[in-house]
Amino acid sequence: MRSFGYLTKEGLKNVWSNRIMSIASVCVLISCLVLTGAASLFSINVEAVVESVGQTNETSVYIKNEYSQLEAVYIGKEIEKVDNVASATFFPKEDAMEKFKVQLDDDQLFAEMQDRNKLPDAFIVVMDDLSKYDQTVADIMKIEGVDKVSSHSELAKKLTDISNLVGAISLGVTLALTIVSIFIIANTIRATMYSRRYEISIMKSVGATNSFVRWPFLIEGMVIGFVSAVVSTGAIAILYEVIMMAIQKAVPITVIPITDLIWFVAGIFAVAGVIIGFFGSLISIRKYLKIEGNEILGW
Amino acid sequence: MIDFKNVSKTYPNGTHALHDVSLSIDKGEFVFIVGASGAGKSTFLKLIMHEETPTSGEIIINGTNTSNLKRSKVPYLRRHMGIVFQDFRLIEKMTVFDNVAFAMRAVGKPYSVIKKRVPYVLELVGLKDKMKCKPSELSGGEQQRVSLARALVNNPEIIIADEPTGNVDPEMSHEIIELLSEINAKGTTVIVVTHEHDLVREFSRRVVLIDHGRIKSDIGNNDNNEYSAEEYSVVPDYPENAVVIPD
Repeated sequence: MRSFGYLTKEGLKNVWSNRIMSIASVCVLISCLVLTGAASLFSINVEAVVESVGQTNETSVYIKNEYSQLEAVYIGKEIEKVDNVASATFFPKEDAMEKFKVQLDDDQLFAEMQDRNKLPDAFIVVMDDLSKYDQTVADIMKIEGVDKVSSHSELAKKLTDISNLVGAISLGVTLALTIVSIFIIANTIRATMYSRRYEISIMKSVGATNSFVRWPFLIEGMVIGFVSAVVSTGAIAILYEVIMMAIQKAVPITVIPITDLIWFVAGIFAVAGVIIGFFGSLISIRKYLKIEGNEILGW
Repeated sequence: MIDFKNVSKTYPNGTHALHDVSLSIDKGEFVFIVGASGAGKSTFLKLIMHEETPTSGEIIINGTNTSNLKRSKVPYLRRHMGIVFQDFRLIEKMTVFDNVAFAMRAVGKPYSVIKKRVPYVLELVGLKDKMKCKPSELSGGEQQRVSLARALVNNPEIIIADEPTGNVDPEMSHEIIELLSEINAKGTTVIVVTHEHDLVREFSRRVVLIDHGRIKSDIGNNDNNEYSAEEYSVVPDYPENAVVIPD
């Protein structure tokens, strides 16, 4: 530990003296972190939207036209008994027509359609747990007099599907970019080790331990990882603001403010960057620690 | 101090570098190892430094059998040795002081010790006034003395010099061997590998001749350290391009 300061300083010097390769490594790692971060933040927001859609979820259960309103009320009692149904509010066909009139905004057309009044009586059903949606709908459909069920949760389902897809793609992209980053960093460290092979051979000849030889290069890798994490955090904060403002203008949804997420993102980036840098370095160093004497110099 | 017992070394490519070598070097001895290129001299040094391990036989250094030494123990074995290379192996971007200090830093010595020890050792090799110079500002002989200072700075029990006069002029070669003799006089064991047989004859020391991977002669290995001029006359002059066994 007495040499910790000296070795850390050597590691930092490595980053600077090998700056072109260091910058290349930082750039690749930034793309990896930003892409991963963007995918994760998108998923987090989609989940938040899904949750809010779920909270306001209302499913319409339509009653067959041949049933009277009195019979429909009894059917409503049966619907309320179904497991996972929180409430079932009666929505008579007259109210549906009124709502339709407002939506149609054409009195003449509405008058023609009112004569035919084909709209059914319905119940607005709210469920306790949306994940049991399919089973609950199946149970409701078994009740005699129920014609069909339509729901607003289709949007929630679609959003969840998109979120899952984004999650799967981002996982694949992250994995690929992580491997690429590790190898780019490994090459950077290999270049440093090549340029410092004299020093390594001298260190080994005078009896430096492997950990002494290893430490500056591990520091170099971890510094590259950490710098990438800091730049990536800034980049993703700016990107998030720009993209989310554009989305909010186009769609009336509430996104999570970046201030709620940035420290979490920064922490994850820092840990990931340092770990990737560490392992990238370790891969390169292993070779040099195994060889001896002139082999280190490539003679 | 150094014992080779029936040591053989065959490289993975099939080259037989050493055959059944048995040799003992005592503490405080000064030994020249001579032989043609590819005779097995470098392999002999590599085995001492544990850069290579023997195919068969035993190597005992300071009472430790190094033939099956764990990799983690190798650095501690090497701390008993100081290595001088033919090509000096100085780090160009570092000053003379830093080049020598580097060997102390590598074994974890604190700066408070380094700043006292390095000037002392540089004074021993006559370079105290060139501490702030870069290696490129020094002559070949001076660079080799820096390399020697670096080998000495951790106060090793053995100095191993691999062709230390190979890249310096004849006058400086003499000075380098003189310096090694002075170090030896203070009790450090010195092993010098060289091609320069004139230099070997000039200094009355033990001479081990390696030929085709075997010890062909071991001259001056007697108890009273008195060697006759006739004995040294058997050290052959090899042609420059002589290659016996590549290693």
